[in-house]
Amino acid sequence: MLGYIIIIEENWLMNVLENIGRLEVKTANSFIDTISFARKVILRMFQYRTYNSAMRMVLINQIYFTSVQILPVFLLASIVLGSLLIGIVFQLLKQLGLTDYFGNVLMGLIVTELSPFFTVLFITLRSASAINTEMAVMKVNGEIKTLETFRIDVINYLLIPRIINGIVSLVLLSSLFSIVLMFSGILFSWVIFGISMDVYINILLNSANFSDMVIALIKCAVFGFFITLIPIRFGLRASHEFTSIPIVVSGGMVSVFTAIIIIEVLSLVTKLF
Amino acid sequence: METNRRQAAPVSVDVPLLSNQDVWMNIALIKQYHENMPRSQAEYIVLNALQRLDLTHIANKRNPSLTNEERFCVLLLRACMVRDALIMIDRPFKIIPHLQDINFIFKTLKKIDDFYATCHIYDYKWMADKYGEL
Repeated sequence: MLGYIIIIEENWLMNVLENIGRLEVKTANSFIDTISFARKVILRMFQYRTYNSAMRMVLINQIYFTSVQILPVFLLASIVLGSLLIGIVFQLLKQLGLTDYFGNVLMGLIVTELSPFFTVLFITLRSASAINTEMAVMKVNGEIKTLETFRIDVINYLLIPRIINGIVSLVLLSSLFSIVLMFSGILFSWVIFGISMDVYINILLNSANFSDMVIALIKCAVFGFFITLIPIRFGLRASHEFTSIPIVVSGGMVSVFTAIIIIEVLSLVTKLF
Repeated sequence: METNRRQAAPVSVDVPLLSNQDVWMNIALIKQYHENMPRSQAEYIVLNALQRLDLTHIANKRNPSLTNEERFCVLLLRACMVRDALIMIDRPFKIIPHLQDINFIFKTLKKIDDFYATCHIYDYKWMADKYGEL
């Protein structure tokens, strides 16, 4: 009887271990696939023949949809959220008696950390989900097959414009968010600390760290690359049934958010060294 | 063989129009991609081609809002944009199911016969009645 229970427990343990192993192998394979696909896409991005008239037209349209159409909502959200954030942080610094550090907090935390993060969340929710669905629908409708039939390279025509758009939009919108924050800072530093505009600008310039700014811009570019690459990859995994669309879209979005967290952690690790 | 493959220009329900692009963009895509033709020039060629079939008004429409006849014409014009196109029309009555006979398709092909090198129509044997005496 005891031996029987031990055998059952061993089987149960083996099943759990096998499942964990299978999940690990699947995750590792998916990660390796994404990285090798990213390498392929980056190589194509530096080839002259990728940039034909059709690709350029898609790129312009994509930049318009992602960066220009979004501007009123993005600006409004930046002003509201940015002012709120600056107000709370400055108030907290005053209460803690850390007024001298407000420049470092503004540049080091809000501009280089929170701006890219807020922007990437905004673009992911608005554009990455749309790209994921668009690709899945194109696959289901047989439109990807149409492109292949007419010898149109799917990577050059569909992927590269969207990925370049992701990089450009993230860098530009994150910079815009930072500018809005800094302008909000003028108002709040005057109201809370009684600091004039000249002194404020001086503090900001003294607190600005060039390497942090470069890391922030690189982080934005990497965010832009992966929040478009991953949804496209997942979208193209759809089968020829409409029921596969929600599955690939939800899978893609979960992976995008995982990628955002990984990139955020990696950028923090980079800053430590 | 490779040359023929490059000239192959299918017209079929299995090779649909891109639903996120306007009609003119769907047609211009071939020239823009393969010949790197500037957008304005490609648009001009497409609008002229649409005019030949009296379909200029659908240039800015998208696939779902087209009638079956319009969709067939757009598929055909897109195929014609392939250089020295060897057009292969696959089951035309599947693209325009309510069509009684082949006359509409022949008339359309006649209007743009300088756009392609040859044209082949493929269909099932039991559809022979629809084609009349060829």
